[in-house]
Amino acid sequence: MSLLRFENVHKAFGGLKALDGVSISLEAGCMTGLIGPNGSGKTTLLNVLSGNLAPDQGDVIFDGRSIVGLQPSAIARRGVGRMFQITRLFRRLSTLDNLVTSGCAFGLSFHDALDRAERLIEELELTAVHDEDGGNLSGGQQKLLEFGSVFMGAPKIAVLDEPFAAIHPHMREVMVRFIRERHAEGHGFLIVSHDLPVVLGLTDDLIAMNAGQVVARGDADTVLHDPLVIEAYLGETAVS
Amino acid sequence: MNASHLRTRREFLVSLVFLAAVAAVPLFVTSGYLLGIVIVAMYYALLAIAWNLLAGYTGQFSLAPTAFAMIGAYGTGMASYHFGLPPAVGVPIAILVSAVIGMGLGRIVVPLRGPYLALTTIAFAEIVRHVARNAHEYTRGDFGMSVPLISSDRVMAFYLMLALLVAVQVGLYFLLRSHAGLYLQAIRDDETAAAGRGINVIFWKTVAFTVSGAICGFAGAMYVHFSGLASPDIGHIFETGLVLASVVIGGIGTMIGPLVGGFIVQFAAEGFREFGLRHMLVFAAMVILFVRFFRQGLWGLVKNAWDRLFGQGAARPARQVKEAGE
Ligand SMILES: Nc1ncnc2c1ncn2[C@@H]1O[C@H](COP(=O)(O)OP(=O)(O)OP(=O)(O)O)[C@@H](O)[C@H]1O
Ligand SMILES: [Mg+2]
Repeated sequence: MSLLRFENVHKAFGGLKALDGVSISLEAGCMTGLIGPNGSGKTTLLNVLSGNLAPDQGDVIFDGRSIVGLQPSAIARRGVGRMFQITRLFRRLSTLDNLVTSGCAFGLSFHDALDRAERLIEELELTAVHDEDGGNLSGGQQKLLEFGSVFMGAPKIAVLDEPFAAIHPHMREVMVRFIRERHAEGHGFLIVSHDLPVVLGLTDDLIAMNAGQVVARGDADTVLHDPLVIEAYLGETAVS
Repeated sequence: MNASHLRTRREFLVSLVFLAAVAAVPLFVTSGYLLGIVIVAMYYALLAIAWNLLAGYTGQFSLAPTAFAMIGAYGTGMASYHFGLPPAVGVPIAILVSAVIGMGLGRIVVPLRGPYLALTTIAFAEIVRHVARNAHEYTRGDFGMSVPLISSDRVMAFYLMLALLVAVQVGLYFLLRSHAGLYLQAIRDDETAAAGRGINVIFWKTVAFTVSGAICGFAGAMYVHFSGLASPDIGHIFETGLVLASVVIGGIGTMIGPLVGGFIVQFAAEGFREFGLRHMLVFAAMVILFVRFFRQGLWGLVKNAWDRLFGQGAARPARQVKEAGE
């Protein structure tokens, strides 16, 4: 049985069909890349999943039951860990407190949260800004901190929206290694990224979206050679 | 120990020193008039602390703190006036009623942010005040209701108010030290992120409104048993202005700022009393000055000076707070 299923999800903003009948199925422990041009509906899909947007039509089944209509916090506690495209963190809490807060909210005791937070800070090389307020971190450090916050819980699926944007290549390596380790432990991943080489380094399972629809799904070779994907990326003239 | 807890503990310890100093006042001051001023200062400090829990720690700029004080005032006032109940019964009723109304208001305004929240809560406050002014049969309107004094002894009344202030401060300390303190601050900083990390935003916002409402109601109830009169003036918008000024001048989002701010504002208000409502201009100017130049209030100034003299500040330049959107 699949862990996560989008069933014919529609979402329109006024006349704009941001999601136009999306159906996707993801297995537990998946490692899936979601690609597509700007404005193709990737973030909107994640917003529907995390409960930040209600779909106009269709259903989202997670772990055996529909999560449409649940509070974002309830969906998060069920095991959907979300990293936002535009970094979101607690600007006036220190790096450590950002992580501890997330840990407690995900159900850890304060001491366990503290332990795990200290380990994550080392792993993500944030030791220098351990006690600095989140708002004072650099853009890249903020992204790493948000990334770490997701793993203060035990997400059944970690949903990462452009995690590698504006990250130094070395730290990107750290993140990629971290993702591989967590994946090996059984966490599922759905990664939205325009950084195709990094995505291909992580997974061979791709989903391509265009104009609110899934245009291809499969291994990299199939998806990247799909005429609809080529059309989406290069414009209509390339095919005709 | 994490940074938030360290910060909270430091502010709490300083506030205990301040409260100890206040406790010593009746040893040196015998004038009933001066003791009365300090009692009213404690009342403002309580409202400031309650409002700071909402605005400073949870990021909810409600403009209804004095409305809840008024609800508490009338809660015990009506219990006494109509049913002859003593303060020992009236005050708990007042706390309960203001907590329940706080919860209701909180639940209603949960989805509202920024100016929408401010406008809704100010409308709520004005409605409450006008109901009190116009429901003559129950409230005696603008005349107000006379309420028995909690104690004819000023010193006794002084220590009762102080006991309440200490209890609230200690209770708040334990609230902020628990995971709840982190959740509230997380909601203040980014609601969407907080929800994304599994924090039940609706629940915790409602908790903040309930606790804040209960503290204001408690303070208002004690205040009328000290002044002897429950009147709609308690909920006047100018009173809200004084509460906000206390928090901003003392230092918003800290445990010590609103406490000290409440005293400063009350003493200043007393000093300017002869100028009538014009003293509000002074507070307005002070608030603008602080918001513009000393965003962290007096406590921020003290802390920075301390750090520069003795602490990390000496080793590196004073840390600038980055503005959002950078
Ligand atoms: N809240 C909103 N209100 C109105 N329109 C929106 C909203 N959110 C998204 N859209 C529109 O929906 C479309 C899909 O946006 P979405 O953010 O999902 O794209 P995306 O695939 O994530 O793009 P990118 O790669 O640039 O992040 C866009 O045309 C966008 O303008
Ligand atoms: Mg996007």
